Amino acid sequence: MFTARNVMATTFCTLRADMTIMEAIKLFQRASREEQRRIFGMIVTDEAGRLLGMLSMYDILLFVRPKHVQVWGTMTDIDVPGLMEVVSERAKSVRVEELMTTHVVTVTPDTHVMVILDIMIKKHIRRIPVVSDERIEGMVYLSDLFYFLVDRLSA
Amino acid sequence: MRAQIVSLPAESSIQRAIRRLVKYKVNALLVTDENDHPRGVVSKTDIMAGYYAGLPIDFPLENIMISPPLFCRAADSLESALDTMRSNHIYRLYVTDDNQDRVVGVLAYPDIVGLLYRYCHACNRSVLKQGKDQRLLDERDRIRVRDVMTPSVKWFSEQENLLRIMEGLSAHRFGAILIKDSEGIPSGVISKTDLMRAYMRGIPPETAARTVLTSRSVISCDDGAFLEVALQKMVLSDLQRLFVYQRGPHNIVGVFSLSDAARSRSGSCYACVSSRIKVEGMR
Repeated sequence: MFTARNVMATTFCTLRADMTIMEAIKLFQRASREEQRRIFGMIVTDEAGRLLGMLSMYDILLFVRPKHVQVWGTMTDIDVPGLMEVVSERAKSVRVEELMTTHVVTVTPDTHVMVILDIMIKKHIRRIPVVSDERIEGMVYLSDLFYFLVDRLSA
Repeated sequence: MRAQIVSLPAESSIQRAIRRLVKYKVNALLVTDENDHPRGVVSKTDIMAGYYAGLPIDFPLENIMISPPLFCRAADSLESALDTMRSNHIYRLYVTDDNQDRVVGVLAYPDIVGLLYRYCHACNRSVLKQGKDQRLLDERDRIRVRDVMTPSVKWFSEQENLLRIMEGLSAHRFGAILIKDSEGIPSGVISKTDLMRAYMRGIPPETAARTVLTSRSVISCDDGAFLEVALQKMVLSDLQRLFVYQRGPHNIVGVFSLSDAARSRSGSCYACVSSRIKVEGMR
Protein backbone atom coordinates (compact mmCIF):
# COMPACT_ATOMS: atom_id res chain seq x y z
CA MET A 1 0.00 0.00 0.00
CA PHE A 2 1.36 3.41 -0.96
CA THR A 3 0.97 6.13 1.59
CA ALA A 4 2.17 9.68 2.24
CA ARG A 5 5.42 8.19 3.50
CA ASN A 6 6.25 6.99 -0.03
CA VAL A 7 5.71 10.28 -1.80
CA MET A 8 6.59 12.96 0.71
CA ALA A 9 9.66 15.15 0.52
CA THR A 10 11.48 15.02 3.84
CA THR A 11 13.61 18.09 3.33
CA PHE A 12 11.66 21.31 3.19
CA CYS A 13 12.14 24.90 4.27
CA THR A 14 9.88 26.59 6.77
CA LEU A 15 8.97 30.16 7.62
CA ARG A 16 8.58 31.80 11.00
CA ALA A 17 5.38 33.70 11.78
CA ASP A 18 7.21 36.88 12.80
CA MET A 19 9.27 37.14 9.60
CA THR A 20 8.43 39.97 7.27
CA ILE A 21 7.03 39.22 3.82
CA MET A 22 10.29 40.51 2.36
CA GLU A 23 12.27 37.95 4.38
CA ALA A 24 9.81 35.26 3.29
CA ILE A 25 10.25 36.21 -0.37
CA LYS A 26 14.02 35.88 -0.03
CA LEU A 27 13.57 32.50 1.60
CA PHE A 28 11.34 31.38 -1.27
CA GLN A 29 14.19 32.22 -3.65
CA ARG A 30 16.80 30.50 -1.51
CA ALA A 31 14.67 27.40 -0.92
CA SER A 32 14.04 27.12 -4.65
CA ARG A 33 17.79 27.06 -5.22
CA GLU A 34 18.51 24.60 -2.41
CA GLU A 35 15.70 22.18 -3.13
CA GLN A 36 16.23 22.57 -6.88
CA ARG A 37 12.57 23.00 -7.51
CA ARG A 38 10.51 26.14 -7.65
CA ILE A 39 8.81 26.56 -4.29
CA PHE A 40 5.27 27.96 -4.45
CA GLY A 41 4.28 27.56 -0.83
CA MET A 42 5.97 27.13 2.52
CA ILE A 43 4.73 26.06 5.90
CA VAL A 44 4.97 28.35 8.90
CA THR A 45 6.09 26.80 12.18
CA ASP A 46 6.67 27.88 15.77
CA GLU A 47 9.92 27.36 17.71
CA ALA A 48 8.90 23.80 18.61
CA GLY A 49 8.40 22.97 14.94
CA ARG A 50 4.61 22.84 15.22
CA LEU A 51 2.54 23.83 12.22
CA LEU A 52 1.01 27.33 12.44
CA GLY A 53 -0.01 27.95 8.87
CA MET A 54 0.98 28.06 5.25
CA LEU A 55 2.09 30.94 3.06
CA SER A 56 1.53 30.35 -0.62
CA MET A 57 2.54 32.13 -3.76
CA TYR A 58 -1.09 33.18 -4.08
CA ASP A 59 -1.04 34.90 -0.67
CA ILE A 60 1.99 36.89 -1.77
CA LEU A 61 0.53 37.70 -5.17
CA LEU A 62 -2.70 38.99 -3.58
CA PHE A 63 -0.55 41.23 -1.43
CA VAL A 64 1.44 42.51 -4.42
CA ARG A 65 -1.59 43.20 -6.61
CA PRO A 66 -2.82 46.78 -6.33
CA LYS A 67 -6.47 46.74 -5.33
CA HIS A 68 -7.61 49.04 -8.12
CA VAL A 69 -5.66 47.33 -10.82
CA GLN A 70 -8.72 47.13 -13.07
CA VAL A 71 -8.27 50.78 -14.00
CA TRP A 72 -4.86 50.03 -15.47
CA GLY A 73 -6.28 48.57 -18.64
CA THR A 74 -6.96 52.08 -19.82
CA MET A 75 -3.80 53.56 -18.44
CA THR A 76 -1.20 52.07 -20.77
CA ASP A 77 0.24 55.49 -21.51
CA ILE A 78 1.04 56.18 -17.89
CA ASP A 79 4.40 55.36 -16.48
CA VAL A 80 4.17 54.33 -12.85
CA PRO A 81 7.49 55.24 -11.36
CA GLY A 82 8.27 53.79 -7.98
CA LEU A 83 5.52 51.16 -7.92
CA MET A 84 7.88 48.31 -7.11
CA GLU A 85 9.50 50.42 -4.41
CA VAL A 86 6.10 51.05 -2.79
CA VAL A 87 5.27 47.33 -2.73
CA SER A 88 8.76 46.41 -1.60
CA GLU A 89 8.60 48.93 1.24
CA ARG A 90 5.28 47.49 2.39
CA ALA A 91 6.67 43.95 2.21
CA LYS A 92 9.19 44.98 4.85
CA SER A 93 6.52 45.90 7.38
CA VAL A 94 3.91 43.17 6.91
CA ARG A 95 4.55 39.88 8.68
CA VAL A 96 4.04 36.33 7.51
CA GLU A 97 1.46 35.72 10.26
CA GLU A 98 -0.75 38.42 8.78
CA LEU A 99 -1.03 36.84 5.34
CA MET A 100 -0.67 33.15 6.03
CA THR A 101 -3.56 30.71 5.85
CA THR A 102 -4.15 29.18 9.25
CA HIS A 103 -6.62 26.50 8.25
CA VAL A 104 -4.18 24.02 6.79
CA VAL A 105 -5.22 20.56 5.66
CA THR A 106 -2.77 17.91 6.83
CA VAL A 107 -2.37 14.17 6.40
CA THR A 108 -0.51 11.54 8.42
CA PRO A 109 2.38 9.41 7.10
CA ASP A 110 -0.11 6.55 6.78
CA THR A 111 -2.68 8.36 4.65
CA HIS A 112 -3.15 6.53 1.35
CA VAL A 113 -1.86 8.30 -1.76
CA MET A 114 -5.28 8.10 -3.41
CA VAL A 115 -6.86 9.80 -0.40
CA ILE A 116 -4.24 12.53 -0.70
CA LEU A 117 -4.99 12.83 -4.39
CA ASP A 118 -8.69 13.17 -3.61
CA ILE A 119 -8.04 15.95 -1.06
CA MET A 120 -5.79 17.82 -3.48
CA ILE A 121 -8.35 17.67 -6.28
CA LYS A 122 -11.36 18.58 -4.18
CA LYS A 123 -9.74 21.40 -2.24
CA HIS A 124 -7.54 22.70 -5.05
CA ILE A 125 -4.36 22.38 -3.05
CA ARG A 126 -0.96 21.54 -4.40
CA ARG A 127 0.94 20.72 -1.23
CA ILE A 128 0.00 19.04 2.03
CA PRO A 129 2.11 18.81 5.18
CA VAL A 130 2.46 15.32 6.62
CA VAL A 131 2.03 15.55 10.38
CA SER A 132 2.40 12.95 13.08
CA ASP A 133 2.12 13.77 16.81
CA GLU A 134 2.36 17.50 16.03
CA ARG A 135 5.66 16.88 14.25
CA ILE A 136 5.95 17.74 10.57
CA GLU A 137 7.43 14.69 8.87
CA GLY A 138 7.34 15.89 5.29
CA MET A 139 5.51 17.56 2.44
CA VAL A 140 3.52 15.95 -0.33
CA TYR A 141 3.65 18.00 -3.53
CA LEU A 142 1.07 17.48 -6.25
CA SER A 143 3.84 17.25 -8.87
CA ASP A 144 5.67 14.53 -6.90
CA LEU A 145 2.42 12.65 -6.45
CA PHE A 146 1.76 12.89 -10.18
CA TYR A 147 5.16 11.45 -11.12
CA PHE A 148 4.90 8.80 -8.42
CA LEU A 149 1.61 7.63 -9.91
CA VAL A 150 2.77 8.00 -13.52
CA ASP A 151 5.84 5.87 -12.85
CA ARG A 152 3.72 3.11 -11.31
CA LEU A 153 1.09 3.29 -14.05
CA SER A 154 3.63 2.88 -16.84
CA ALA A 155 5.63 0.15 -15.13
CA MET B 1 -19.49 46.98 -7.83
CA ARG B 2 -16.90 44.42 -6.93
CA ALA B 3 -17.98 40.82 -7.46
CA GLN B 4 -15.54 39.38 -4.95
CA ILE B 5 -17.35 39.21 -1.63
CA VAL B 6 -15.15 38.70 1.38
CA SER B 7 -17.20 36.93 4.03
CA LEU B 8 -16.84 34.78 7.14
CA PRO B 9 -19.25 32.73 9.24
CA ALA B 10 -20.59 34.48 12.37
CA GLU B 11 -18.68 32.20 14.74
CA SER B 12 -15.26 33.03 13.20
CA SER B 13 -12.78 34.84 15.41
CA ILE B 14 -11.77 38.49 15.22
CA GLN B 15 -8.27 37.30 14.42
CA ARG B 16 -9.48 35.47 11.34
CA ALA B 17 -11.37 38.57 10.23
CA ILE B 18 -8.24 40.71 10.55
CA ARG B 19 -6.32 38.26 8.36
CA ARG B 20 -9.04 38.39 5.71
CA LEU B 21 -9.23 42.18 5.72
CA VAL B 22 -5.47 42.53 5.41
CA LYS B 23 -5.18 39.84 2.77
CA TYR B 24 -7.94 41.10 0.50
CA LYS B 25 -7.25 44.79 1.18
CA VAL B 26 -10.84 45.57 2.08
CA ASN B 27 -12.32 47.68 4.86
CA ALA B 28 -15.14 45.36 5.89
CA LEU B 29 -16.43 41.87 5.44
CA LEU B 30 -19.84 40.28 5.34
CA VAL B 31 -20.80 38.00 8.23
CA THR B 32 -22.96 35.04 7.27
CA ASP B 33 -25.11 32.50 9.11
CA GLU B 34 -24.97 28.71 8.77
CA ASN B 35 -27.03 28.88 5.55
CA ASP B 36 -24.62 31.40 4.05
CA HIS B 37 -27.18 34.20 4.40
CA PRO B 38 -25.91 37.67 5.29
CA ARG B 39 -26.27 38.52 8.98
CA GLY B 40 -24.09 41.53 9.50
CA VAL B 41 -21.00 43.48 8.63
CA VAL B 42 -17.70 43.76 10.47
CA SER B 43 -15.55 46.72 9.48
CA LYS B 44 -12.09 47.82 10.55
CA THR B 45 -13.89 50.30 12.82
CA ASP B 46 -15.73 47.50 14.63
CA ILE B 47 -12.48 45.58 15.08
CA MET B 48 -10.77 48.70 16.41
CA ALA B 49 -13.64 49.06 18.89
CA GLY B 50 -12.97 45.48 20.01
CA TYR B 51 -9.29 46.33 20.51
CA TYR B 52 -10.28 49.45 22.48
CA ALA B 53 -12.67 47.45 24.66
CA GLY B 54 -10.03 44.82 25.33
CA LEU B 55 -11.96 41.94 23.76
CA PRO B 56 -10.00 38.71 23.33
CA ILE B 57 -8.73 38.20 19.77
CA ASP B 58 -10.57 34.88 19.46
CA PHE B 59 -13.94 36.49 20.19
CA PRO B 60 -16.61 35.52 17.63
CA LEU B 61 -17.61 38.08 15.01
CA GLU B 62 -21.31 37.84 15.83
CA ASN B 63 -20.58 39.80 19.00
CA ILE B 64 -19.05 42.78 17.25
CA MET B 65 -20.87 42.85 13.90
CA ILE B 66 -23.29 45.56 12.86
CA SER B 67 -26.57 43.99 11.88
CA PRO B 68 -28.34 43.89 9.49
CA PRO B 69 -26.20 44.68 6.45
CA LEU B 70 -27.61 47.32 4.11
CA PHE B 71 -28.32 46.40 0.53
CA CYS B 72 -28.95 47.88 -2.83
CA ARG B 73 -29.97 46.10 -6.02
CA ALA B 74 -27.74 45.60 -9.01
CA ALA B 75 -30.19 47.59 -11.15
CA ASP B 76 -30.23 50.64 -8.86
CA SER B 77 -28.52 53.76 -10.12
CA LEU B 78 -25.13 54.65 -8.73
CA GLU B 79 -26.56 57.98 -7.63
CA SER B 80 -29.27 56.42 -5.46
CA ALA B 81 -26.80 53.96 -3.96
CA LEU B 82 -24.49 56.87 -3.08
CA ASP B 83 -27.46 58.64 -1.48
CA THR B 84 -28.22 55.60 0.69
CA MET B 85 -24.58 55.46 1.75
CA ARG B 86 -24.50 59.16 2.55
CA SER B 87 -27.74 59.20 4.53
CA ASN B 88 -26.80 56.12 6.57
CA HIS B 89 -23.20 57.31 7.09
CA ILE B 90 -21.82 54.06 5.77
CA TYR B 91 -19.06 53.32 3.31
CA ARG B 92 -20.42 50.28 1.51
CA LEU B 93 -23.57 48.54 0.38
CA TYR B 94 -23.98 44.90 -0.47
CA VAL B 95 -25.55 44.30 -3.85
CA THR B 96 -28.29 41.74 -4.32
CA ASP B 97 -29.60 40.34 -7.58
CA ASP B 98 -33.02 41.39 -8.80
CA ASN B 99 -34.83 38.74 -6.75
CA GLN B 100 -33.06 40.09 -3.67
CA ASP B 101 -32.20 36.64 -2.44
CA ARG B 102 -28.53 36.45 -3.33
CA VAL B 103 -25.62 38.76 -2.63
CA VAL B 104 -23.75 39.27 -5.89
CA GLY B 105 -21.31 42.01 -5.02
CA VAL B 106 -20.31 44.92 -2.88
CA LEU B 107 -20.26 48.60 -3.67
CA ALA B 108 -17.72 50.63 -1.72
CA TYR B 109 -16.36 54.15 -2.13
CA PRO B 110 -12.91 53.09 -3.26
CA ASP B 111 -14.43 50.96 -6.04
CA ILE B 112 -16.52 53.86 -7.26
CA VAL B 113 -13.40 55.98 -7.42
CA GLY B 114 -11.80 53.27 -9.54
CA LEU B 115 -14.72 53.48 -11.93
CA LEU B 116 -14.75 57.26 -12.08
CA TYR B 117 -11.01 57.33 -12.48
CA ARG B 118 -11.16 54.99 -15.43
CA TYR B 119 -13.80 57.12 -17.01
CA CYS B 120 -11.90 60.29 -16.35
CA HIS B 121 -8.74 58.85 -17.71
CA ALA B 122 -10.42 57.94 -20.97
CA CYS B 123 -11.69 61.49 -21.32
CA ASN B 124 -9.91 63.58 -23.93
CA ARG B 125 -9.77 66.56 -21.63
CA SER B 126 -7.80 64.67 -19.02
CA VAL B 127 -4.73 66.50 -17.78
CA LEU B 128 -2.81 63.23 -17.96
CA LYS B 129 -3.16 63.26 -21.74
CA GLN B 130 -1.82 66.73 -22.23
CA GLY B 131 1.77 67.51 -23.02
CA LYS B 132 3.31 70.32 -21.05
CA ASP B 133 3.41 72.59 -24.05
CA GLN B 134 -0.14 72.09 -25.28
CA ARG B 135 -2.58 72.97 -22.57
CA LEU B 136 -6.03 72.49 -23.98
CA LEU B 137 -7.77 74.05 -21.06
CA ASP B 138 -7.17 77.05 -18.95
CA GLU B 139 -5.52 75.88 -15.74
CA ARG B 140 -7.90 78.03 -13.73
CA ASP B 141 -10.70 75.67 -14.74
CA ARG B 142 -9.06 72.67 -13.13
CA ILE B 143 -9.76 71.29 -9.72
CA ARG B 144 -6.77 71.01 -7.50
CA VAL B 145 -6.33 68.97 -4.36
CA ARG B 146 -6.80 72.04 -2.15
CA ASP B 147 -10.32 72.51 -3.54
CA VAL B 148 -11.67 69.18 -2.28
CA MET B 149 -9.40 68.16 0.58
CA THR B 150 -10.49 68.24 4.19
CA PRO B 151 -8.73 71.45 5.16
CA SER B 152 -7.84 70.63 8.73
CA VAL B 153 -5.56 68.04 10.17
CA LYS B 154 -5.81 66.33 13.50
CA TRP B 155 -2.58 64.88 14.74
CA PHE B 156 -1.19 63.08 17.75
CA SER B 157 2.23 62.96 19.30
CA GLU B 158 4.37 59.81 19.08
CA GLN B 159 4.19 59.54 22.84
CA GLU B 160 0.40 59.33 22.95
CA ASN B 161 -0.97 55.86 23.64
CA LEU B 162 -3.04 53.84 21.22
CA LEU B 163 -6.23 54.25 23.26
CA ARG B 164 -6.11 58.06 22.76
CA ILE B 165 -5.44 57.54 19.07
CA MET B 166 -8.42 55.21 18.73
CA GLU B 167 -10.60 57.79 20.48
CA GLY B 168 -9.37 60.41 18.02
CA LEU B 169 -10.03 58.24 14.96
CA SER B 170 -13.47 57.38 16.19
CA ALA B 171 -14.45 60.95 17.17
CA HIS B 172 -13.49 62.33 13.77
CA ARG B 173 -14.51 59.27 11.74
CA PHE B 174 -11.02 59.07 10.27
CA GLY B 175 -9.39 56.01 8.79
CA ALA B 176 -5.93 57.20 9.74
CA ILE B 177 -4.29 59.97 11.70
CA LEU B 178 -1.07 61.94 11.41
CA ILE B 179 1.63 61.40 14.01
CA LYS B 180 4.24 64.03 14.85
CA ASP B 181 7.52 63.68 16.71
CA SER B 182 8.55 65.74 19.73
CA GLU B 183 9.71 68.56 17.45
CA GLY B 184 6.32 68.77 15.78
CA ILE B 185 7.55 67.27 12.51
CA PRO B 186 5.24 64.73 10.84
CA SER B 187 6.83 61.34 11.47
CA GLY B 188 4.24 58.86 10.28
CA VAL B 189 0.64 57.80 10.03
CA ILE B 190 -1.40 55.35 12.09
CA SER B 191 -4.34 53.81 10.28
CA LYS B 192 -7.09 51.47 11.42
CA THR B 193 -5.19 48.73 9.62
CA ASP B 194 -2.09 49.44 11.72
CA LEU B 195 -4.26 49.22 14.86
CA MET B 196 -5.79 45.91 13.77
CA ARG B 197 -2.32 44.54 13.20
CA ALA B 198 -1.23 45.73 16.64
CA TYR B 199 -4.32 43.97 18.07
CA MET B 200 -3.33 40.75 16.33
CA ARG B 201 0.25 41.01 17.56
CA GLY B 202 -1.00 41.34 21.12
CA ILE B 203 0.39 44.83 21.66
CA PRO B 204 -1.40 46.36 24.69
CA PRO B 205 -3.50 49.41 23.69
CA GLU B 206 -1.75 51.44 26.39
CA THR B 207 1.44 51.33 24.30
CA ALA B 208 2.81 54.55 22.80
CA ALA B 209 2.05 55.29 19.16
CA ARG B 210 5.77 55.26 18.33
CA THR B 211 5.94 51.47 18.64
CA VAL B 212 3.42 50.75 15.90
CA LEU B 213 4.61 53.29 13.32
CA THR B 214 5.48 51.05 10.42
CA SER B 215 7.01 53.52 8.09
CA ARG B 216 8.83 56.68 8.98
CA SER B 217 7.30 58.69 6.23
CA VAL B 218 4.07 60.46 5.43
CA ILE B 219 2.89 59.98 1.87
CA SER B 220 1.70 63.38 0.75
CA CYS B 221 1.22 65.74 -2.15
CA ASP B 222 1.31 69.46 -2.76
CA ASP B 223 -2.01 71.26 -2.29
CA GLY B 224 -1.70 72.66 -5.79
CA ALA B 225 -1.49 69.24 -7.43
CA PHE B 226 -4.19 68.34 -9.93
CA LEU B 227 -6.86 66.10 -8.46
CA GLU B 228 -6.28 63.28 -10.87
CA VAL B 229 -2.56 63.21 -10.25
CA ALA B 230 -3.27 62.76 -6.54
CA LEU B 231 -5.86 60.09 -7.33
CA GLN B 232 -3.37 58.29 -9.52
CA LYS B 233 -0.93 58.24 -6.65
CA MET B 234 -3.52 56.75 -4.28
CA VAL B 235 -4.96 54.24 -6.71
CA LEU B 236 -1.59 52.91 -7.79
CA SER B 237 -0.14 52.51 -4.34
CA ASP B 238 -3.27 51.21 -2.59
CA LEU B 239 -3.56 54.24 -0.36
CA GLN B 240 -6.91 55.47 0.85
CA ARG B 241 -5.71 58.94 1.68
CA LEU B 242 -2.95 61.40 1.00
CA PHE B 243 -1.84 64.13 3.33
CA VAL B 244 -1.64 67.48 1.66
CA TYR B 245 1.12 69.99 2.25
CA GLN B 246 1.73 73.62 1.45
CA ARG B 247 5.21 75.01 0.92
CA GLY B 248 7.02 71.77 1.74
CA PRO B 249 6.23 68.35 3.25
CA HIS B 250 6.63 69.50 6.87
CA ASN B 251 3.67 71.79 6.65
CA ILE B 252 0.68 69.44 6.39
CA VAL B 253 -2.50 71.43 5.81
CA GLY B 254 -5.13 68.87 4.88
CA VAL B 255 -6.14 65.33 4.03
CA PHE B 256 -7.53 64.05 0.77
CA SER B 257 -9.20 60.64 0.83
CA LEU B 258 -10.64 58.33 -1.79
CA SER B 259 -14.02 58.88 -0.17
CA ASP B 260 -13.65 62.65 -0.60
CA ALA B 261 -12.91 62.02 -4.22
CA ALA B 262 -15.90 59.75 -4.73
CA ARG B 263 -18.14 62.26 -3.02
CA SER B 264 -16.97 65.12 -5.16
CA ARG B 265 -15.79 64.03 -8.57
CA SER B 266 -13.04 62.12 -10.15
CA GLY B 267 -11.17 64.44 -12.44
CA SER B 268 -9.61 67.82 -12.21
CA CYS B 269 -11.94 69.10 -14.87
CA TYR B 270 -15.33 70.66 -14.25
CA ALA B 271 -16.67 68.96 -17.37
CA CYS B 272 -16.63 65.77 -15.33
CA VAL B 273 -20.16 66.39 -14.10
CA SER B 274 -21.30 65.16 -17.48
CA SER B 275 -19.06 62.12 -17.25
CA ARG B 276 -20.78 61.13 -14.02
CA ILE B 277 -24.07 60.96 -15.82
CA LYS B 278 -22.49 58.69 -18.41
CA VAL B 279 -20.94 56.55 -15.72
CA GLU B 280 -24.39 55.93 -14.35
CA GLY B 281 -25.58 54.85 -17.77
CA MET B 282 -22.63 52.47 -18.10
CA ARG B 283 -23.20 50.44 -15.00
